[in-house]
Amino acid sequence: MSRSAQHLQEAADWLTRLQRPEVDETDWLAFDAWLNEPGAQEAYDAIQAVDEEIFQRGSAVRGELAVPRRAVAAKRAFTIDWRWLGGLGAAAAAAAVAIVVAPWGELLPQPDTLYTTGKGENRAVQLADGSHIDLNTDSHLSVRFDKEARRVTVHDGQALFDVAHDTARPFLITAGDETVRVVGTKFDVRRRDGQLTVTVLRGLVEVSTDGEESPVRLRPGQMLEHVEGANGIVVRNVAAEDQVGWRSGRLVYRDQSLGRIVSDMNHYFERPLRLEGENTANLKFSGVLIVDGQDAMVRRLTSLMPISATPTDDSIVLRGKASTPN
Amino acid sequence: MGDLLSVADSDKAALLGLYEEKRANLVRFFAARLGSRAEAEDLIQDLYLKISGMEAVGPIDNPSALLHRMGQNLMLDRLRSQKRSGTRDNDWRSVNTTSFAGQEVADEPAADEVVAGRQRLKALVEAVEDLPEKTRQAFQLHKLDGHSHVETAKRMGISVSTVEKHISSALKTLTRRLR
Repeated sequence: MSRSAQHLQEAADWLTRLQRPEVDETDWLAFDAWLNEPGAQEAYDAIQAVDEEIFQRGSAVRGELAVPRRAVAAKRAFTIDWRWLGGLGAAAAAAAVAIVVAPWGELLPQPDTLYTTGKGENRAVQLADGSHIDLNTDSHLSVRFDKEARRVTVHDGQALFDVAHDTARPFLITAGDETVRVVGTKFDVRRRDGQLTVTVLRGLVEVSTDGEESPVRLRPGQMLEHVEGANGIVVRNVAAEDQVGWRSGRLVYRDQSLGRIVSDMNHYFERPLRLEGENTANLKFSGVLIVDGQDAMVRRLTSLMPISATPTDDSIVLRGKASTPN
Repeated sequence: MGDLLSVADSDKAALLGLYEEKRANLVRFFAARLGSRAEAEDLIQDLYLKISGMEAVGPIDNPSALLHRMGQNLMLDRLRSQKRSGTRDNDWRSVNTTSFAGQEVADEPAADEVVAGRQRLKALVEAVEDLPEKTRQAFQLHKLDGHSHVETAKRMGISVSTVEKHISSALKTLTRRLR
């Protein structure tokens, strides 16, 4: 090993040692002494800078690693062509062949690309226009770009969008009976159990809902809520970063019902949580749940709320404790 | 009385002198623990204020160890006040730049910064992907998923010291590739 490689290895060993939880003053004194060796400080500073960068960009790196290598990704992402299959199946199939040779090929609608995550999975998707989508656990959406617009359909789940600016082609997101129109901005869309929410982190977002006359404009820090099929929407001011806590493995709740929390958790784990007992679903919780193991999360919930947890063969039953003191 | 005061003062002056001498290394030490050089700088600045605010400093056995202990206590105070919002929170804030607290919304970063940031991220990801399998696995569990050395060892079914060897070797390889 060359001298500088030797130094780098020693520096990396030191940094790793200093990150043990039980590090004490003996470590400090020895570390301080080691830094006197020629070349040690430079080597350590280089190692520490990279460690810091990894620490700071950890979830971005993790997101990229979660995406299979390009070739694999292309193979796995299958395409659906629902709109054209419904309308003019045979003609569309013929046209798809023509794309290769026809000069007007790019005017033809492109097939949808479906992106999906399983339970407990996250996925970062980079689109051709430079937009970026982070998919939360158990989520399904499809993307299609054409001449007039960039279109995304949220079938189910939750995603954070960071949309590249392109005035010529609006970015349109359909989630149930809502259409979200975007210029260049960052926001979170959630569609679960017939409930839609849109939360804006940056920029301006326009939301049209079937049955509403004019679109609603949302500003950063605003969240729109809507029940699919129903009339009416609610817009509230929220701590937008709470809504995207999932992006960093945290679920943040303010006065949220246990019913909703259990529904969120059930999108992360195969083994379902079930609620039993009158009013159990209505118990309220405020706080942060770190998403790690299901058992650990349930343990924390039972210590923070007046509920008990009983494992059964195929689920975990949560029940409100009867003797809740008032 | 005058004597007593001057003794205390000289001990304090000695401690401040040692602080100046060890300052840079203290920052290095705490940067490893906090995952941020800027935060470590901040902490060591607080340490200075703490020392200069001390009423009387008696004779000290091992002044360098005392500096470490005081720094350690300040760090624990900080971590306690941040509660559990820790690593990933931090991550989120700094990676995505925009501060979205309340109405305050920062502008989008310049296009060339975005491109540079993406290229850097790509280089980082590729370097991680190229690590040997076990090393990459240990690195991911500890550095990216936030598991401790002990937890990582349990998950991989290997010893803690082997985990530390993998982490250390990953850091060295990444530093050589990325700097």
